[in-house]
Amino acid sequence: MTSPSTSPSTAPNVTDPSLYLDGMPHGRFAEMRETPGLVWHPYGDGGFWAVTRHDDVRSVSKNAAVFSSAVGHTNLWDLEADALEARRSLIDTDAPDHTRLRRLVARSFTPRNVRRWEDTVRRIAAELIDEFVAAGGGDWVELVAAPLPIRVILTILGVPMTDAGYLVELSNYLVEGTGDRQSIPPDAFGNTTELRLLPFNSPASHALFEYGERLGDQRRRDPRDDLVTALVQANEDGDRLSDQEYRNLFHLLVFAGNETTRTAITHGAIALADHPDQWRRVLDDRRLVAPATEEILRWSTPVMHMRRTTTEPTELAGTPIDAGQKVVMWYGSANRDDRVFDRPFDFDVGREENPHVAFGGGGPHLCLGAYLARLEIAVLLEEMARRSLLLERRTEPVRAPSNFVHGVLSVELAVATGRAAIAPPGGDSR
Amino acid sequence: MSEAVRLVVDGDRCIGAGQCELAEPELFRVDDDTAVAEVLGSGMLALDRAEVVVDRCPSGAISIEEPAAD
Ligand code: HEM
Ligand code: SF4
Repeated sequence: MTSPSTSPSTAPNVTDPSLYLDGMPHGRFAEMRETPGLVWHPYGDGGFWAVTRHDDVRSVSKNAAVFSSAVGHTNLWDLEADALEARRSLIDTDAPDHTRLRRLVARSFTPRNVRRWEDTVRRIAAELIDEFVAAGGGDWVELVAAPLPIRVILTILGVPMTDAGYLVELSNYLVEGTGDRQSIPPDAFGNTTELRLLPFNSPASHALFEYGERLGDQRRRDPRDDLVTALVQANEDGDRLSDQEYRNLFHLLVFAGNETTRTAITHGAIALADHPDQWRRVLDDRRLVAPATEEILRWSTPVMHMRRTTTEPTELAGTPIDAGQKVVMWYGSANRDDRVFDRPFDFDVGREENPHVAFGGGGPHLCLGAYLARLEIAVLLEEMARRSLLLERRTEPVRAPSNFVHGVLSVELAVATGRAAIAPPGGDSR
Repeated sequence: MSEAVRLVVDGDRCIGAGQCELAEPELFRVDDDTAVAEVLGSGMLALDRAEVVVDRCPSGAISIEEPAAD
């Protein structure tokens, strides 16, 4: 069943990708948040229930038995059954499969284990910032926001730096696959798989799978202290990932943290450039790095929605929902909900309570990389603060026409003097 | 001051997200190898803080133990 049996309020359109060229349609989301119950949003030849309030997003996330990730897809459109099966990974499974898979990788991403990567992250962040300053500024996305997360995840996975360029290239082709333009032919990289069976319908996925398999084979023979080794080795109970599970997870790890963290870092830098008073607060009190990181996550909301599908008839916010209907959580809306956030449209690095849903609304699918992403953002802020870097915006950000990732394709930032001239990086910078 | 309750972790539901350890580091530790949280010591916590941890756990693995009937 794709349409509701009752006649609910109809949502203003928030799925047209071109809307996002002007930024998130906050006015339309506010309208939906103020409408009692849930609103029905037409989409394709069906539609979905739009969940826009903070507490409703939390409810859907936490009730994974009723709001399934494994049925249909977690994006707005459905995948055919064979495609879903071939692509299936952590993000589109339910318990108990999800619990098993998640636990096989979770140990590498616990807060304590992520802290072991701090020096690596700091070295990469410091290098990028120094290059950015030396160049006198430039496109922040290309010079800092894009390279940081990809270099970090490749280092953690154990990909040799000599191959990093190749994987960055593959990852850029995947990004293309999220739009409607592919610049490479279906048989690129020797691909023979039907594109609809590949993540992002991209032949680059085939190449990424192949690369992951080769690296996995090597690590099985010659274990190292890296994530790929951890993934291919059995855990304590003797359980391990099947070849397809490993392959899909390797792919997910290379991709999931890149576009997202890049987006947070970009909106973060823009916000700090546009609100110099807020950046001064961080410069004056480094204890604000942690709340500033959370505020950047709330403010940027890199992933704008995730979808669930109901497994049984249910009810949310007083609206009855039939079984088999799509329910879409709009995180950017929940993160501006004034029932939860005081003056939600203010960028405030000192928020004491900041229960944003940038990593999802709780529930078992809560972002696996949340601590890693936080570490990357916080370390970058620390390295900027250590250099007393002041950013100035030179151009309007060029936004991505996407209703899914709150992407910025480029933005020119300049390095301002002032405080930077008075307080050059101390002798402790690397 | 609110009453103290005992918290327990259902090891079959825990996904090792570590929210419990962040919220109450004295009380929870996620095992580095199994990625399952264990309760340290008695597991006793004031009710108001206990409710916060229960709510933070993404997989619903933490619960407040029902008091024994005696
Ligand atoms: C600022 C950066 C990031 C944001 C905003 C973000 C956001 C999200 C969101 C919204 C979800 C879905 C949550 C849900 O459905 O309830 C998710 C899941 C996921 N993220 Fe992230 N993410 C970020 C960084 C990362 C990084 C660095 C990694 C790499 C390790 C990563 C790996 C994953 C994985 C594997 C999942 C699926 C988890 C599951 O289904 O169990 N993410 N992320
Ligand atoms: S918060 Fe819940 S899922 Fe996460 S480690 Fe603790 S008990 Fe496990």
